[in-house]
Amino acid sequence: MNPRVILAVALIPLGLIIAAVPANKTKQFRLTAPELLQETATGSQFMQPDAVADMLVKNDPSLQLIDVRTPEEFAAFSLPRAINIPLANILSDEYTDILNQDAKTNVFYSNGTVQASEAWMLTRQLGYTNNYVLEGGLNYWFANILGAKEPSSVNPSEEFAKYDFRKSASAALGGGSVVASDNNTAPAAATKPPVANKAKKKVTGGC
Amino acid sequence: MGPLVANGIISENTNLLLAFFIGIGFGFVLESSGFSSSRKLAGVFYGYDMVVLKVFFTAAITAMLGLLFMSLFGWVDLDQVYVNPLFLRSAIVGGVVMGAGFIMGGFCPGTGICGASIGKIDAILFSVGLFVGVYFFAFTYSWWEKLYKATPLGGKKVSDALGMSDGLFALVLILVAMGMFYAAEWAEKKFPREEY
Repeated sequence: MNPRVILAVALIPLGLIIAAVPANKTKQFRLTAPELLQETATGSQFMQPDAVADMLVKNDPSLQLIDVRTPEEFAAFSLPRAINIPLANILSDEYTDILNQDAKTNVFYSNGTVQASEAWMLTRQLGYTNNYVLEGGLNYWFANILGAKEPSSVNPSEEFAKYDFRKSASAALGGGSVVASDNNTAPAAATKPPVANKAKKKVTGGC
Repeated sequence: MGPLVANGIISENTNLLLAFFIGIGFGFVLESSGFSSSRKLAGVFYGYDMVVLKVFFTAAITAMLGLLFMSLFGWVDLDQVYVNPLFLRSAIVGGVVMGAGFIMGGFCPGTGICGASIGKIDAILFSVGLFVGVYFFAFTYSWWEKLYKATPLGGKKVSDALGMSDGLFALVLILVAMGMFYAAEWAEKKFPREEY
């Protein structure tokens, strides 16, 4: 038989099948529940507030703070150079390029750590790396970074070093006089919220 | 599961190693099927030998069906497969330039390297010309930049542009390919050349 006919007999039925079945739209979770539990147990998703403050003071370009609270809360107060991705929209295609990349360190923050941890869990389960949670959230940030209290004289010298760092970081980040917040609301400050950077990073590869 | 590299199942280096072996296999098959002869590629233009067209179309529809079925079975996530961004105008200009080069030289970059490796002088010259062209383009890039980057359309697929599903487009392409194979064999009979 002519090879062309053999090819047609083999390929046309396959083509008919693939044209008839609906496309597979299921998204795979790339991390199983036990793997996720393991990561949560080690606490490796947390980024220490002092480390974040240090990167902020040094204008580290690899740091990308992501506010997962609502746009209203974001407009009222946000950390310097943070962008707003409300938790409800975290799976939107618009943000995939920001959340799924390996160039920048994304740090999620919310008032406490609940929403930020939820954002981390969702993105981690999709297999994204480089996303972290600001330990303690904004509440801890206000109480301990911006409103650093001088330790009593019986403390070890590391505590004083930490205090000195926090005091200077707080001055550089426009804190100092801010008072610690209660559990659910972050205090308003005069920081102007920057606009989210929508510039998309081009995927590279191909032949 | 797939793509293997994007999901960290194999590393970039393993990927390159696999590419090395696949490349050797590809070159071997190209040579043993006679693609290292310049008449094979020029024959497509003159109509006496349509093997190149048949081989590459068969490869395309086989790979297409493979990807679609693997996606159907959940083995590969098509959203993660890289789609080359489309620049319509430069693609047309580039296609004409490359096509003219293929007819005149009788090789495409792959078969040119293949012919050069078995010592064909025309293929060696073709490969030298290829590098001259590459360097010429690189050093005069600023002259072409505007044309090169004209009409960027992103990673667009024909099925999206036509508003049909990937599967339906696959069927249409298979039927088109079968029609082309038929036309190719008609052309081979119509414009015969002596054996070489």
